[in-house]
Amino acid sequence: MIGLEIHCQLTNLQSKLFCSCKANYRSFEPNTNVCPVCIGLPGSLPRLNQKAVEKATMIAMALNCKTPQKLGFFRKNYFYPDLPKNFQITQLNVYGPSSIGEQGKVAIEEKDIRIRRIQLEEDPGRLIYEGASERTQITLVDYNRAGTPLVEIVTEPDFENPRQVRIFLNVLSDLLENLGVSDPALEGAMRADANVSIEGGPRVEIKNIGSFYDLEKAIHFELTRQQSLKERGMPTSQETRHWDDKRKITISSRTKEEDEDYRYIHEGDVPWIVMDSESLERWKKNMPESISSKKDRYVTKYGIPPQVADVLSSDKYYSDLFEQAHNESNAKEIANIITTDLMGLVDTREKREQSKLSPKHLSDLTELIQSNKITRSSAKNALQEIVRTGKPTSEIISQTSLGKISDESEIAKIIDEIISQEPTAVKQAKENPQTINFLVGKVMQKTKGNADPAITLRLLKEKISSHE
Amino acid sequence: MVTKEDIEHVAKLMRIDIDNTDQYLAQIQKILNYFDVLDKANIESEEIQVQEVSINDLRDDKYVPFESKLIDQLKNYKGSYVRAPKMN
Amino acid sequence: MSLAISAIDYIDNVKNGNITSEEFVAKTLEHISKHDKTLHAFLSINDKALEQARQIDKKIKTKEKVGAFYGMPISVKDNICVKGGKTTCASKILQNFVAPYDATVVSKIKSQDAIIIGKTNLDEFAMGVATEFSAFGPSKNPWNTEYVPGGSSGGSAVSVSALECILSLGSDTGGSIRNPASFCSVVGLKPTYGLISRYGLVSYANSIEQIGPMGRKVEDVALLLNHLAGKDQNDNTTIDNGSQDYLEEIDAGIQGKKIGVITEMSSGEGIDKNVESAFWRASSVFEKLGAKVEEVSLDLVRYTIAAYYVLVSAEAGSNLARYDNIRYGYDFDLEGYEFKSYISKARKIFGPEVTRRMILGGFVPSAGFAGKYLLKALKVKSKLTKQIQEAFKKFDFLISPTVPILPFKFGEKINDPLSMYLADINTVTANFTNVPAISVPFEIHDGLPIGIQIHANILQEKQLLQAAYALQSTTSLPGAPL
Repeated sequence: MIGLEIHCQLTNLQSKLFCSCKANYRSFEPNTNVCPVCIGLPGSLPRLNQKAVEKATMIAMALNCKTPQKLGFFRKNYFYPDLPKNFQITQLNVYGPSSIGEQGKVAIEEKDIRIRRIQLEEDPGRLIYEGASERTQITLVDYNRAGTPLVEIVTEPDFENPRQVRIFLNVLSDLLENLGVSDPALEGAMRADANVSIEGGPRVEIKNIGSFYDLEKAIHFELTRQQSLKERGMPTSQETRHWDDKRKITISSRTKEEDEDYRYIHEGDVPWIVMDSESLERWKKNMPESISSKKDRYVTKYGIPPQVADVLSSDKYYSDLFEQAHNESNAKEIANIITTDLMGLVDTREKREQSKLSPKHLSDLTELIQSNKITRSSAKNALQEIVRTGKPTSEIISQTSLGKISDESEIAKIIDEIISQEPTAVKQAKENPQTINFLVGKVMQKTKGNADPAITLRLLKEKISSHE
Repeated sequence: MVTKEDIEHVAKLMRIDIDNTDQYLAQIQKILNYFDVLDKANIESEEIQVQEVSINDLRDDKYVPFESKLIDQLKNYKGSYVRAPKMN
Repeated sequence: MSLAISAIDYIDNVKNGNITSEEFVAKTLEHISKHDKTLHAFLSINDKALEQARQIDKKIKTKEKVGAFYGMPISVKDNICVKGGKTTCASKILQNFVAPYDATVVSKIKSQDAIIIGKTNLDEFAMGVATEFSAFGPSKNPWNTEYVPGGSSGGSAVSVSALECILSLGSDTGGSIRNPASFCSVVGLKPTYGLISRYGLVSYANSIEQIGPMGRKVEDVALLLNHLAGKDQNDNTTIDNGSQDYLEEIDAGIQGKKIGVITEMSSGEGIDKNVESAFWRASSVFEKLGAKVEEVSLDLVRYTIAAYYVLVSAEAGSNLARYDNIRYGYDFDLEGYEFKSYISKARKIFGPEVTRRMILGGFVPSAGFAGKYLLKALKVKSKLTKQIQEAFKKFDFLISPTVPILPFKFGEKINDPLSMYLADINTVTANFTNVPAISVPFEIHDGLPIGIQIHANILQEKQLLQAAYALQSTTSLPGAPL
């Protein structure tokens, strides 16, 4: 049995959870995105970010959770260098439900994964070790991240294998990105810990996992470790282990977490927030359409094949493009272009940031295709130029003479050129008519795929047969 | 009954070195015993009252940088970092 | 020009050109240098005070807009942040801490042209009833320097009582404004919880503490309150007070009002006989002023000390966790230490009372004990709040002696924490129930002051000040013998 504890930063907010420093701390010099509140100076007080409550509630709703009538915050008290107040303001469900969500579920392919609870809390700062050596006694602390809004999502131990974990994390990433609350691709924006147990055995927590890729490996390792202990008749201890990235194994954490008593008390500086139904209704209405809803709509309304609809709906970048570019008649074509020709050109964050493509380019392009002015393959070439330069579609088409060439004399001229350049191939084609495709290919190459194929073949055959 | 080990354990939890545990033991013992008077207060059925605030009174999500470079005014290392002993 | 002038009179005189701020501040500074070596009300003095006074005088002369305080010297308890100066909380762990920002209350009075003359002494981190636990030495009661001035805002009370300033900002968690006000024969008000912003007040027990005004006259305190109260963006726990003017109609009197004497605070074996008889004289004064006085019982009062110390220990344990000497603090090289041992050693510098609270604060909310102590304390708080609300259905004001005992001598209670805690028995209720309460000087017995405490219901400071003013108008007490 495997359960997950996922921490997701609300990177799309402007400010931190309890102060007005920037939520996305990544571009700052160390300790320059701080203020008396997030660095915990004497006399400072937390001020709760309204939008953080809104976004976290949307996540709770998207994960089908129950939301409480009153939201409460608590202090988890422990000492650590990255914790400026030596307590973390977080949520609990002690005196009844008070965290942002509980008892939800997420569907992955073959089953539902139950969500135990969701809570809103602040991220601690970051520790950097001076010098690469393990023996250095000093840690350098950067509080830029301290106070960044985090949503912690705790699942029930419903995962049966690492594969389900991977699927779930992809579904969750897409969902969060689709909601517009977070950019999961940002470094450190989504972190996960796991708890792993095999049948009849105790729960082992695994922390310090750097990436989702490592998470799968760590779970796999841990399952194997526990299984082999069982086979040898040795007990597994209930404990916390951390993932050693270099050696790719889990190691028992000798920090006595069991001794840690967090002395939870209510956060006296943040009153309980009344979740009035009017606000909840308004937020629900403002929620972006869910991925599954989009997929259904693409399939039923536009007849887009489910595979294509899947790719289109689960990537916010693509679905945004699609939503803005399409109309009733070209929807299928646009969906097609996006998920085949365009994909390779904008498959990384960097490429997307540099891309100059706009929805209008897509709709113009499909119009040209549908009115037979250009071929699909020349559209593909055009896309490359569009993404690179952003110039109007019509300009690019004429510039690179990417219009479909149907003029017979033009094609004939090109064929003549090819014939004179390829005497061997011509001879071969005369003897073996099948090999004429080589020459057709040459014509296509020369015309960048724009020559009308039927005309080309006919003219080629004619010219070759009449060639000496 | 509070023992010397209890005091030592809590002092560790609260990260304070204490020299004369015995002196504190006697005082803490007396105070905790006094706290037992709460058992007579007849308040089991009481609900804990809380201060409430409306969502509309919460802070707007705006980025406002702090007016000065704070790290300059605190203990700093190489101008930008805070230095701490490593945790074992 | 007497330093014993009231705030209202000071402002009038400066407006009329009879005195200048510079003259007054200079005289104040001279007076401080003469007396504070003995009294030790101040931990630090503002060395720019005279210059600031000159600036304000200039504004007055050129008929520019001048703030309400006209360059009046006001002292601030040293657990309230004043930018650019030390804020030590009378603790060695913050002996070098310079606040990079102003508390909201400090910005407010600065913007009204008050001059912050200095930071006053307190019990370390505001934990105490006598200012004996200051890491920098106690303050002395100007009425008799062998006696404590009360605490934890002892320095503030002394500075006002000894004419070292006109007004002061203190803080009150379980009586820390009212207790020293009573011991030093000045007026001290703890407002409704949430009336005054706590942004910049170094937290001790954040769910019940408040900053409050202290002065020699009730009307002076009302004036200061006008400029402190109000909702603050920087403090989510502040509430709207409807922009009341607390000075207006302060002389309305208490004709026809109903006053309840809290039985548990006004009689019994814990109360000094002299304090008790002074209190009954005060009750008959209220009757002569036209109020109807009756007894009322708040039986949960007997549990308040236990509940209070459980709650504040838990909160203090958490609020003081940040003092690990890493981001700010005193010189203590971390070379050769591991994290846990470094901060434990650094925090050893806390005084004995703070250390005691840390230990208690580790026990009471801990996993094994939370149900036994913390939960019960919170329930006592809730039930007492209900009880006092019931009482306010019948009464406009509730009264008691501020402190059940007379000021005591240095060293008398310092080794018996529990007996010290019991000195708070009359004041803790107001903090626990969020209601405002004020201490008004009433009598001097054998040279030691006795104050009377008045409570009103939530956000009823205006009425409360009227009752206090009415009582004050019947007394004519001397100033502290300097």
